[in-house]
Amino acid sequence: MSDVAEKRSAREESAVGRSLENLKAAPRRFTETVFRSGRPHSDRTRSTFVFGNVFLHLHPVRTHRWSLRWSATWGLGIAAISCFFVLLVTGVLLMFYYKPYPDVAYLSIKDIHFVVPTGRFMRNIHRWSGNIMVVIVLLHMARVFYTAAYRSPREFNWVIGMGLLMATLGLSFTGYLLPWDQLAYWAITIGANIAQSPRELTDALGITEWFDVGGLQKLILLGAEEVGEEALIRFYLFHVMILPLILVILVTVHFWRIRKDGGLARPIDADNRLGPSSGDVYPVFTEAAQKTYSLAAVVKGKTPIVGHGPEQTIPSMPHLLIGEAAVFMLTIALSVILAIFLDAPLKELANPAVPENPAKAPWYFLGLQELVSHSAFMGGIGIPLIVLIGLGLIPYLDRETEGSGLWFGGLGGRSLVIRSAIFGLAAVVAVEAFVIRFGWIRQWWPNTPQMIITFINSGTLLTFLYATYSVWCLRKYNSTRAGALALFTCFVCGFVVLTVVGTYFRGPNWDFYWSPSQWPGH
Amino acid sequence: MKANKHLLLWSSLAALAVLLWAAVHENFFRDWRVTQREIQARLPSSQADAFTIQLKQIVSREVGATDRCVSCHVGMAPGESGIEGDRLFGRHPDVVHDPASYGCTVCHGGQGRATETADAHGTVPHWPEPMLSKEYLFAGCGGCHTHLSVSNLTQLEEGRARFEQADCLACHKLDGRGGTLRPGGAGGQEGPDLSRVGAYGFKANWYEHHIEQKKKAASGPWISAFGELSASERLATDEYLRSRVGAPGLSEAKALFHTLGCRGCHKVRGVGGDDGPDLTAVGNKDPGQVSFAQVEGERTLANWFKKHFRSPATVVHGSAMPELGLTEQQIDQLTFYVLSLRHRIYPEALWPKDRIRAERFGMREFATDGATLYGTFCAACHGAKGEGMRYPGFTPFPAIGNPDFLRLVSDDFLREQIKRGRPGRRMPAWGQQEGGLRDEEIGRLVAYVRNLGGAAYEGDPKPRRWVQGDAAEGERLFAKACGVCHGERGEGREGPQLNNRVFLDLAADTYLFKTIRNGRKGTSMAGFGGGSSVRGAMTDAEISSIVAFLRTWEGKK
Repeated sequence: MSDVAEKRSAREESAVGRSLENLKAAPRRFTETVFRSGRPHSDRTRSTFVFGNVFLHLHPVRTHRWSLRWSATWGLGIAAISCFFVLLVTGVLLMFYYKPYPDVAYLSIKDIHFVVPTGRFMRNIHRWSGNIMVVIVLLHMARVFYTAAYRSPREFNWVIGMGLLMATLGLSFTGYLLPWDQLAYWAITIGANIAQSPRELTDALGITEWFDVGGLQKLILLGAEEVGEEALIRFYLFHVMILPLILVILVTVHFWRIRKDGGLARPIDADNRLGPSSGDVYPVFTEAAQKTYSLAAVVKGKTPIVGHGPEQTIPSMPHLLIGEAAVFMLTIALSVILAIFLDAPLKELANPAVPENPAKAPWYFLGLQELVSHSAFMGGIGIPLIVLIGLGLIPYLDRETEGSGLWFGGLGGRSLVIRSAIFGLAAVVAVEAFVIRFGWIRQWWPNTPQMIITFINSGTLLTFLYATYSVWCLRKYNSTRAGALALFTCFVCGFVVLTVVGTYFRGPNWDFYWSPSQWPGH
Repeated sequence: MKANKHLLLWSSLAALAVLLWAAVHENFFRDWRVTQREIQARLPSSQADAFTIQLKQIVSREVGATDRCVSCHVGMAPGESGIEGDRLFGRHPDVVHDPASYGCTVCHGGQGRATETADAHGTVPHWPEPMLSKEYLFAGCGGCHTHLSVSNLTQLEEGRARFEQADCLACHKLDGRGGTLRPGGAGGQEGPDLSRVGAYGFKANWYEHHIEQKKKAASGPWISAFGELSASERLATDEYLRSRVGAPGLSEAKALFHTLGCRGCHKVRGVGGDDGPDLTAVGNKDPGQVSFAQVEGERTLANWFKKHFRSPATVVHGSAMPELGLTEQQIDQLTFYVLSLRHRIYPEALWPKDRIRAERFGMREFATDGATLYGTFCAACHGAKGEGMRYPGFTPFPAIGNPDFLRLVSDDFLREQIKRGRPGRRMPAWGQQEGGLRDEEIGRLVAYVRNLGGAAYEGDPKPRRWVQGDAAEGERLFAKACGVCHGERGEGREGPQLNNRVFLDLAADTYLFKTIRNGRKGTSMAGFGGGSSVRGAMTDAEISSIVAFLRTWEGKK
């Protein structure tokens, strides 16, 4: 009897004791479960750390030295995602005070601006990050293009990137309406009218009554005939939920594809170009790998790399992560510095009865607005569609391998880009100057049918000039890449010049002025 | 790697520095903190220790105020004394409304919750309700108060003249003027301050009381200052005293509004014409919601109103308001008055007496004597003396004080005409339902208008419809003689509209017949019964045929 009791108490004692022991060990074990392979001291443990961490494992364990050079990417992708992160944080903070209903929305922004402690600062950061993100995404696209990084096997990632560009512009555009001031209201009105621009074509054809695709687009965008409460709640929902969700999904795929496509693009002879590695970099394995990749071994294609040792790679942690962190902090620093000096604009309460003159769309659409002023359909739908299809087709048309991963790689190279830039600038400036100075067909022959204006205007003329020039380059160099280089460079020049004209040189009634100080009536 | 580490370090430091600066600024360098530190330094040491630097605010849920103005204007916060005698940091000057319970913005405007100077005063761009400037300070009263029974300017000025001629200021203070201290300073002023006597009310027998005191007195101001007043002088003085409600200048501005006839086109609190916008809350207008394209200078509501009064159609495209040809002083007064039309919406339980009287008991903001009624509602179009008005770009307004007209119309005609207006024309209907005037008020107006021309109704023994004539002949004659002024179909051009439903209904045949035959002296309407150098005289039969033709329009429109 006593024997049994003794046994039981001993067991209890030991169970309690064991629990206490475990409790004491809990912090140590917690740390161990977080850092499963021990603290990341050595390259090996760092590598397992990167590998075993859900956020870090999007990185490769080791990164090629080529990709770590600043000139390879200028950190633009990381800068873009950093902006998105800043926007997410400040955006959520703003959501605490923002009320998406007409007039009330304006007052809540007033409260954020004037009353909420640091509210103005947060709003400024949000606004500047948003603008920086648009710029950086555009630069990122240019970088990928000029280093020919879209080529096989990265074609699809280029297309995903275009989706991300759209999502970024969409986010910026939807955010533009939310303050519900005059600036927001009329910018979105202009934006919605751009969406409605196919009506110009359907009107000219006389089929608007049956097939009003422009009106339908505007209706879908605004939820009503005019910018109002329906549009506001729609834009709000897109801005805080749908588009961020889409963007996160696309970004995930984008990152995933980088890994699956074998990291960043680099020339085949990258190792030779880099020269011998410095002391702290050492090869992992130099001969054909003995390791089998089990399931991965049956995957087709070049990934993962089998039988070819990644000689010029170095551990991502810390080399890549430090660089990324530096870009991240640089981006944050840039937006907070801008935010502390320059306030986000907030004009009068939106007033549908008093139009802003000039009413301007957000700056990245001012190039489009400039084209729209020549022909609504071509500027609003036709040319953007041509540009988008053209951009999407680039990786599928250019199947060359020459110069991949190199700046201005491919036939023609840097000199072709410079010549194209000169041609592109000259062409757009000449066309704009001509239209501003002499007007266009409608001014000369007032009774010209709309169809003629729609298809023959400065926008289409410019597109035609650029296309002709590109085809000429393509034939001259006998290379698709050369044609693409010419066309993309021209497109960049056109975009920049038209945006600048729309932003700085257009005044009331979209007339040309050298500076806003010459605007009448003020 | 090393470069990246440096970049990481420096960019992190930069971001950190900015964030730190933002935090430091938020916690140490906001305007109100700087101001409070300054005040603390200026306070005597005994008070300075008790003074804590913190955000101060007045919250009044009833009037909807959360005013942090007192974070800088510390002396005006409840329980604080601030710096004695300092205009900005000392106590609020004595006013009827304790800032501790009313807050600040309810009277002064501005942005109560902001804590930076420019933000709070509303001088930042696009702030909808900036503070009222000093010259228009009392416009703030209009948010809650309704100044009752304000007469027209002539009467008010008359009262002021009587008040000053009677030397009342010798003893009494009024709007910061006059009043004497008793000898030796004992017992304060000789007479009570009358600046707000209109709001408190005063005894009807004040005059008898004064006379009695004068009889009793042996020396002092009772003997030297007070003189006798006639009955009419007393009435004018009473009128003037009633208008003293503690908002100097505002009563005069309102009196001007009741002289120029603005309410002929504009409604204020449900009384007035419909041609122009309702002005009930026009002083609350957001300056951001009006166009400043044609207005020079600061983008303030006051500036906008001033330019608008000078030239309405320049500021508001297509405005149907004529250029009134006002003096700069009048423009300033009108601006003051319209800025005071603020009409805040808040619970009735908190309404001041005057607002309850106006909006619940139906008391009038305007005095209801004939002269003020005429000045308030009619003068803009029909002229101060009923002489009719011509504004550039508008059809002439009829001279209703014309004796030839008044002789032909009965008081009933005038009363019905005022009540029913001229549909489709600028003359609105003034009946209780439409324009908001009561029968007795219209009665006083009729008497006043009758008096303007000084002509009694000569009577009409004939039935209302007695004329027999050839309408076809009338049509021919009308086209020849009348159409030029009255329009080919009587639609009205230079002369009044004749095919108007109400006009044809009210005008008896005698009225039409005699007007055509005799004309109206002093107007464009000639007497067609007598010839002139360019046309022969019409016979009675011809005139009858014209009247018959006019009658054909009856019931058509």
